Amino acid sequence: MNKLDTNKQGASSSMSPFAALLGRIKADWQVYVLLAPMVIWFIVFLYVPMGGLQIAFKDFSLFRGISGSSWVGFEHFYTLFEDENFLRAIQNTFVISFYGLIFGFPIPIMLALMFNEIHHFVFKRVAQTIAYLPHFISVVIVAGLVISFLSPTTGIVNLALDALGFDKIYFLTNPEYFRAIFIGSNIWKEAGFDSIVYLAAIASVNPSLYESAKVDGATRFQMMYKITLPTILPTILIMLIIKIGNMVEVGFEYIILLYQPSTFETADVISTYIYRVGLQGSQYDVATAAGLFNAVVAFVMVYAANWLSRKYSSSSLW
Amino acid sequence: MSSNPNVTLNKVYKRYGDVEVVKGIDLAIEKKEFIVLVGPSGCGKSTTLRMIAGLEGISDGEVGVAGRVVNNVAPKDRDVAMVFQNYALYPHLNVYDNISFGLKLRKANKEEVEASVKEASSILGLDQYLERRPADLSGGQRQRVAMGRAIVRKPEVFLFDEPLSNLDAKLRTQMRAEIKRLHKRLGVTTVYVTHDQVEAMTLADRIVIMRDGKIEQIGSPMEVFTKPVNTFVASFMGSPPMNLIKGVMVQEEAGFFIKLKDNKVPVPAREGCTFTEGQKVYLGIRPEDMYLSSNGLNNFERISCHVDLVEPLGAEALLHIKLDGQDAVVKTDSRNTSIDEMSESSEIFLNLDYLHIFDGVTENSIY
Repeated sequence: MNKLDTNKQGASSSMSPFAALLGRIKADWQVYVLLAPMVIWFIVFLYVPMGGLQIAFKDFSLFRGISGSSWVGFEHFYTLFEDENFLRAIQNTFVISFYGLIFGFPIPIMLALMFNEIHHFVFKRVAQTIAYLPHFISVVIVAGLVISFLSPTTGIVNLALDALGFDKIYFLTNPEYFRAIFIGSNIWKEAGFDSIVYLAAIASVNPSLYESAKVDGATRFQMMYKITLPTILPTILIMLIIKIGNMVEVGFEYIILLYQPSTFETADVISTYIYRVGLQGSQYDVATAAGLFNAVVAFVMVYAANWLSRKYSSSSLW
Repeated sequence: MSSNPNVTLNKVYKRYGDVEVVKGIDLAIEKKEFIVLVGPSGCGKSTTLRMIAGLEGISDGEVGVAGRVVNNVAPKDRDVAMVFQNYALYPHLNVYDNISFGLKLRKANKEEVEASVKEASSILGLDQYLERRPADLSGGQRQRVAMGRAIVRKPEVFLFDEPLSNLDAKLRTQMRAEIKRLHKRLGVTTVYVTHDQVEAMTLADRIVIMRDGKIEQIGSPMEVFTKPVNTFVASFMGSPPMNLIKGVMVQEEAGFFIKLKDNKVPVPAREGCTFTEGQKVYLGIRPEDMYLSSNGLNNFERISCHVDLVEPLGAEALLHIKLDGQDAVVKTDSRNTSIDEMSESSEIFLNLDYLHIFDGVTENSIY
């Protein structure tokens, strides 16, 4: 196989890059057919819409169309940054994401480490299945469950509080509870499934490292933090970079389903702001400006995280 | 042997469900002794070693280290250090931290750790690599680090699980010599597992040959080479292995002979050896004890043969011959005989001083 590849490279080195690419496509067309749907998806849904980003700099009107609308420079950005609601949405986005990262990121790692320590086969499988299942529940249902559980009249939490002699709490209308409810239920939904990637990383740790440590006198806990954790650190860092890159994209649908005007103070994030301004308020140009800002921040963050990771560890996405 | 062995195995069994992989092993290893467990894949040698280390439970019997039964003692408390086949080095730690890992776990003080690591690294020639990670080391250097990790523990027993099998042939020879030197210098009881009989012969004070979970023979390298107890040991030790030619015992006036198809080999009388007429046997003769000429031989038998193939090895050559329709190998000096001459040989001479006979049914040595 290596020999074959070398020959191919040797042959293509004398051609122009385009001819070489065509040659490769012709030779390995089956692989390119498999790749095509993803490339087409990226082009249609991510690259083509980028052309529409120009409306962030235009006084856009549906009737005049993109080309017919006049340029207004950074006016929409000034509007955004003068809007308290947008500034609040930025703050909320970062606060929710930051707390989500602080509390949500280590839990799948801990879960994976714990699953790895379970030696009873049936118990391990049952525990894993229970942890993975919430991932497959639609956010609409999760939101429904949360609303039902926390309902002031029929919710089990309030019934329990009531039974214990406490006052009922209006969890979903009280802004101070929103972040905890959102982050907590998100962890419940995704932590199990997110642990799979760490379990896979743990499975690749050479078992003789543990045996050697056992002979050297390491306890199970020492093996966990002196062998397992450092060995899966590259995976943890890659996942952290991805999470940081996605920080500004907090679960938009889930927030829409859970929040209400009384909790906007802590719940309204950039994506829900864009939804309200753009689709409900028909200010497409302002919403696009907000979306562009969101994307630029995300790009800077993922780039910075990758740079930091490459500098301080040997792991990076690119 | 002294009456106070350092490692003992008394009727040790290992079972996985219904499958018995170690079947009642008895072994006593003396202090400072270098014991090599050797045998084909699946014979139970690594399992036995792991039972001594405490990495495998013992289904039945007793394992003792330094005079105490350790069946229920955790690996860390058995006072053993193990070197693994794939080195088992921690990839995120440098050489210094890898070597000192066990000491730090035992909460040794900083000065002690430093002194021990320095001592081990100078013994193993690792001084200039202490800051490197395992990924930046060659196979031989990694193996040295693994040994360093075992040395600093100053254990009662070293356990080696096929430590050289991942190295190339040249490095293996070099490391083999280093292990031998190390054992001489440290004088620690060593149990070494390998499937390579050359390693076993060169390193061991005593070799334990295993098959199917049982010990076939225990003895010094020369003992197991010159006095194999059965055809398995005879064919396992030695490279190339001993030739085993099927024959039948016949008694004539001059004594017993092994009758092959077209040839007859006289059996020099030996005290205590008895045969029966018509007894099926294997004639065992090492390739080194078969010659193309009778020069210098006192007690020999000429046998007709046909040379199939000649494999020149430099100073020596291997002749694959048909002897009475059965395959055999002859190892001969190739510096004074051309390959053409060897190919055309039609007779070979067996040195009867080194003749072995095994029973055709039990396959045990009878001569």
